[in-house]
Amino acid sequence: MKILYFAHVAKTLGRREDEVSFSAPVTAEALWEKLLTLRPALGQYRATIHLARNSEYAGPQDQFADGDEVALIPPVSGG
Amino acid sequence: MWSEILFMEAPLPSPPSPPEAMHGVAGAWAEFHGYVRADEHGQKISALRYDIYEPMARKQLAAHIEELAKTHGLVAVRFWHRSGLVRVGEASVYAAVAAPHRKEAFAALGELMNRLKKDVPIWKAEILPE
Repeated sequence: MKILYFAHVAKTLGRREDEVSFSAPVTAEALWEKLLTLRPALGQYRATIHLARNSEYAGPQDQFADGDEVALIPPVSGG
Repeated sequence: MWSEILFMEAPLPSPPSPPEAMHGVAGAWAEFHGYVRADEHGQKISALRYDIYEPMARKQLAAHIEELAKTHGLVAVRFWHRSGLVRVGEASVYAAVAAPHRKEAFAALGELMNRLKKDVPIWKAEILPE
């Protein structure tokens, strides 16, 4: 599963993507658990980040599986 | 409905004439040009750096445009946004809509810009003067 980082989150982590793997589809909670273990600095942003799965905002019931592209979306500021 | 969504690193060119799709159908073509100011939240800046998750931004914008077309009867929409470094005084965004009448055109254009700032994955970061 490809994880994408943007804006100040990418700057803090010093990277724009990660690759993680699961043996079966997981909830957002389980995904976050793995991401926070891998990148503890994400903790400060978690409350403001929305997850997107394959270019669409994920709902609370969505599951995430290998092969998905998951983006961490902090508050937007286009225009 | 005709639409064009473009993201570009180079300065935005002068927009071309309204698209053929509106000819004879729409009576209003409303445009918005957004520029980078030297002052961002009370801080002097030299530029903004835009980061865009392009596939999702395109999808979100297309969905918003589709909805606005239904509610305001839009005939055509052109939307351009800069990515990367945009210096003070340069344009960061250009949006234009065609509708039967000016009331719908102005309303839809304002709503499109509001929606852009709500959930379209585009971010800006301030670059301070050296």
